[in-house]
Amino acid sequence: MSNVLRAMRFPASAVLALGLAFSAFAQTLKLPPHEKVVLKNGLTLLLMEKHGVPMVSLAAIVKAGAVADPVGKEGLASVTAGLLRKGTAKRSAQKFAEDLDFIGGSFAADAGADFTSISGEFLTKDLDKGLDLFSDALLHPAFVQAEVDKMLAQDIDGVRAAKDEAQSVALNYYYGYLFVKHPYARSDGGDELSLARITRDAVAKFYEANYTPGSTILAVAGDFNAVQMRAKIEQALGNWSAKPNALPAVPAPSTVKGKRLLLIDKVDSTQTFFVIGNVGTAVNDPDRVAIRVVNTIFGGRFTSELNEALRVESGLTYGADSFFDSRKQPGAFAIYSFTKNESTTQAIDLALQVLAKLHKQGVTLEQLTSAKAYIKGQFPPSIETSTQLARRIASNEFYGLGDDEINQLEARVDAVTPAIARQVIEKHFPEENLVFMLIGKASEIGPAVQKYASQQDSRKISEPGFWPPPGK
Amino acid sequence: MNKAGVVLRGLLLATLFAAATIGARAQGEAQQFPVATKTLKNGMKVLVQTDHSIPNVALYIFYKIGSRNERPGTTGLSHFFEHMMFNGAKKYGRGALDKAMEASGAANNAYTTQNVTVYQDWFPRSALNLIFDIEADRIQNLSFDPKKIASEREVVASERRTSVDANNEGLLDEQLWATAYIAHPYQWPVVGWMSDIEHWTMDDLKHHFEMGYAPNNATMVVVGDVTPEEIFELCEKFIEPIPQHSPPPAVTTVEPEQLGERRLVVHKQAELPLLMIGYHVPKTNNPDFYALNILRTVLVQGESSRMYQRLVDKDQIALEVSTTQQSGFDPLLTIIIAQPKQGVDPQKCEAAIFDELEKIKKAPIADQELEKAKNIRLVEFYQRCGRSMGERIPSGRTKCFLATTAKFSMPRKTTRPSPKKTFSAWRKNILARTIAPWLP
Repeated sequence: MSNVLRAMRFPASAVLALGLAFSAFAQTLKLPPHEKVVLKNGLTLLLMEKHGVPMVSLAAIVKAGAVADPVGKEGLASVTAGLLRKGTAKRSAQKFAEDLDFIGGSFAADAGADFTSISGEFLTKDLDKGLDLFSDALLHPAFVQAEVDKMLAQDIDGVRAAKDEAQSVALNYYYGYLFVKHPYARSDGGDELSLARITRDAVAKFYEANYTPGSTILAVAGDFNAVQMRAKIEQALGNWSAKPNALPAVPAPSTVKGKRLLLIDKVDSTQTFFVIGNVGTAVNDPDRVAIRVVNTIFGGRFTSELNEALRVESGLTYGADSFFDSRKQPGAFAIYSFTKNESTTQAIDLALQVLAKLHKQGVTLEQLTSAKAYIKGQFPPSIETSTQLARRIASNEFYGLGDDEINQLEARVDAVTPAIARQVIEKHFPEENLVFMLIGKASEIGPAVQKYASQQDSRKISEPGFWPPPGK
Repeated sequence: MNKAGVVLRGLLLATLFAAATIGARAQGEAQQFPVATKTLKNGMKVLVQTDHSIPNVALYIFYKIGSRNERPGTTGLSHFFEHMMFNGAKKYGRGALDKAMEASGAANNAYTTQNVTVYQDWFPRSALNLIFDIEADRIQNLSFDPKKIASEREVVASERRTSVDANNEGLLDEQLWATAYIAHPYQWPVVGWMSDIEHWTMDDLKHHFEMGYAPNNATMVVVGDVTPEEIFELCEKFIEPIPQHSPPPAVTTVEPEQLGERRLVVHKQAELPLLMIGYHVPKTNNPDFYALNILRTVLVQGESSRMYQRLVDKDQIALEVSTTQQSGFDPLLTIIIAQPKQGVDPQKCEAAIFDELEKIKKAPIADQELEKAKNIRLVEFYQRCGRSMGERIPSGRTKCFLATTAKFSMPRKTTRPSPKKTFSAWRKNILARTIAPWLP
C-alpha cells in the first residue's frame, strides 16, 4: 500500500459495531432538535433538520438482523438486504444502478447481528428521485432468480477472499468460538456452506416475515423542511401495508467458564493474529459509560495500557487494542493484537499481564482524568454529519436509548470515580475465564500456545465455514 | 465479511481530487467555502477554514518528503521517521507527546506516501495552544534515542508483515510498482524493504530530518472551530521563529519510457487470485489528470459503471473491480484491480478489462454518462464539506501537488476527457497477477 499509517485502525467490523461503545461528549454539544412520528401503518419516523450542505441522509433500521437467520441458512438477512436494490417491481438491477448513479446518490443495505440497516444519501434537489429509489427498494424488491444466484455466488467468494487476509476474519472465528450455539456466534454474512443453502424462496419468505412498517425505524437528517419531509415520506412509505410480525427473541448469552483456545492454521502466516476475551455487555448496560472510560484506559486509545505494553515499550506489534462490541444482548469483549510467529507467547503473556494488572491495581486518578478528557474531546466529530446523526438517532431508537445518551454523556463521564472504575473492572473485565482465538502458522506456534487453556480446538483456514465446524 | 477493503481503498483515493472535477452544471448553485492563506516568514504555507458546527479542530502538516526522496539501502526511512516524530523531542520527551495530547482530548496519526509525509491532529479547540507547542517542539528539537529506535524498528516490521505479508493486495501492489519503475524512486515501497528496515542507522535518520523538515518545505492546513486570525497569531508565536533551510534536493531521475509490456506473476498460497493492471499516467499537476479521474469514474465507480456492469454483473467473472490513483510530483500509475471469482482464470478478467478499454477508446463517452460522472463527483464534494475533521484536508494536498488556488470552490471548468488524448497517456504496459490457489 502506498499510504502507510502510523497507528493501526481496528478491523472495520469492530469499529463500526463500536460506534456507540467508543463515544462520549462535550458539554456545549447537544443533539440537534428532532422529532418522532409514528405513521398510521406503524412506521417510526425520525426527522432532523440540518442545513449547510445541500444533502439529505436516510437511515432505516429493520428490526431483524443475523439473529433472525434460520439455523443452517446463516447470512439470509444479509443476502436479503443486499438484494433489495437488485431489481424491483418497476426497475431491473441495472436500471436501479443507472438511476441511482445518475443523481450521484448512494444506497446501501446490510445486516448486522441485531438489525438490518438500509441507508441512502441524495442531493436535496434530487430528493424526490432519491426517495423514489429508496422506497422502491425497501417496498418492492423482486428477488429475481438470476440476481439471487449472482449474489449468493458473490458472497461465497467474498468469504473466500476475506480468508486470504487473517485480520478480516479474526472476529468471525472469535465470535463463533465465544458464542458457539447462541445466535451471536454467527457471521453476519454467513459462510461458504450456509450461503450455498439459501434459495430465492427463503429470501422472499424472510422479507415477507420481517420487512414490515411496524418493525421499521426511518431517520432522515439533512437539508430539508421537516413538515414537507414528513409529507414526502408519508407519500413514499405511507401505503406500505401494516402486517403483524414476530421480532426475533434472543436470549442473553452465558459467560464462558474456564479457558479454551482455538487455533486457526494459516500455513503462510508470518504473524499470529490473536483475540482474547469473553462475553461482554449489552448496549443498555447501566455501567456502559464507566465501562467506556475504563476501556479507554485499558485498550481504547494509543496510550492505553495494552498499546503501551505491546507496542510502545516492547515493539512486539504494530498495535494492540480492546473493545466491547455491545449489542441488544451482551456482545463480546475482546483484546486484539498480532505479532511475529517467534514472539507469539511473549505478546500473549504480556497482554494477560496487562489484564491482570488492571484487576490488581485498577486505574489511577490521573488516568481517569485523561481518559475522560479524551472521550469528551473525540466525541463531537462522531455526530457531525447528517449521515452520522441519522444513524445515531435511528440506533438510539432501536435500543431504547433517549437523547440523554448523548446530551448527558459529558456529565455521566465526569461522574465516574475510582471506586466505580474498580467495580466495573471486577464486574465486566474477565480475569480467569478466557476464550483465546489465534490465526497463525500452527506448525510453528502450536506447541507453545497449548499452555493457555486445557480445552484446545483447531481448524485450517482453508476449510469451509468458521466455527463451529459444519455438522457440529 | 466481504473484502471491502479493496473497494474502499479505491473510493477513498478517488475522492482526492473530486473538488477539482466538478462540472460547470454546478455553477449556479455553487457554494463557496473560503479559505484564508498566509505564507509565514520562514516559508511555511498556512491554510485556514472556519467551521463552527462542532467545537473541534483538525490540523494537518504536509511535509514534501516521502519515499521518492530515499535511496536504495534506506528505503522506508521517511515512514520510519514519521514514527520517530512521536517518540520524543526537547519539551515533550519520550512518550510525553501522546500522553499530553490524549489527556487534553486530542488524537493524532500520521501517514507517509511516495511524495509526502503528513501529520494529523484532531482535537477540541481548548487544546489549540498545546498542539502548536508540540508541533513546534518536534519540528525543531526531535531527539533520537537508540533504545527507542530499536523498538520502533520492530513496530514497523510488524506493520510490514501485516500490510504486505498478510495482505495479498498489499503484496501485489508492492510488486507492481517495483516492476513498473526501473529508474525512478517510485519503484520501492513506502514501508521499505525488510532488510532496509533492519539496517538503517542513526545517521540516516538525522540526515533525513535535516533534509526534509524545513518549515519552507511544509504546508499547514487547519479546519474547524477557529478563526484565521487566531491561527496566524499562533503561527507567529510558535512556528515563525523556526529557521528555514534548504529543502530536499530535487529528484531529477525521469522514468524512461517503457518499451514493452511487463508482466509479473506472484505465486502465493491464496483462496482467490488477484489481478492488477497498472498504467503510466501523468503527474498530478498535468491538466489531463482531471480527465483521467472522470474516466476512472465512468469505468469503475458505482454499479452502473462500465467495468462493474461487464465483469461483475454481466460476465460474472469478478467479485469486484476498482481503481487506485495516488497524487504525486512525478508521473504515476493508475491501477485497475480485479478480484476474480473462484475458478475463473485471471486472464479472463484481463481480457474483459482490455475489451472495455478498447471500447472507450473508440467511441466518445456519451453525454449522459459524462453528466453522471460529474454528478457523482459533485456529491463527493458536498460529502466532504459536511465533515470538518479531515475530509476537507485534501485542499492541503491540492496545495501541495498543484500549487494552486486555495479556495474550496467548485471549479468552473468542464473537463471532457478526450479518449484519444487520454489514452496516449495511458500506455498499456504493465500487468501483474497472482496465481492461486497454490497447491500444497
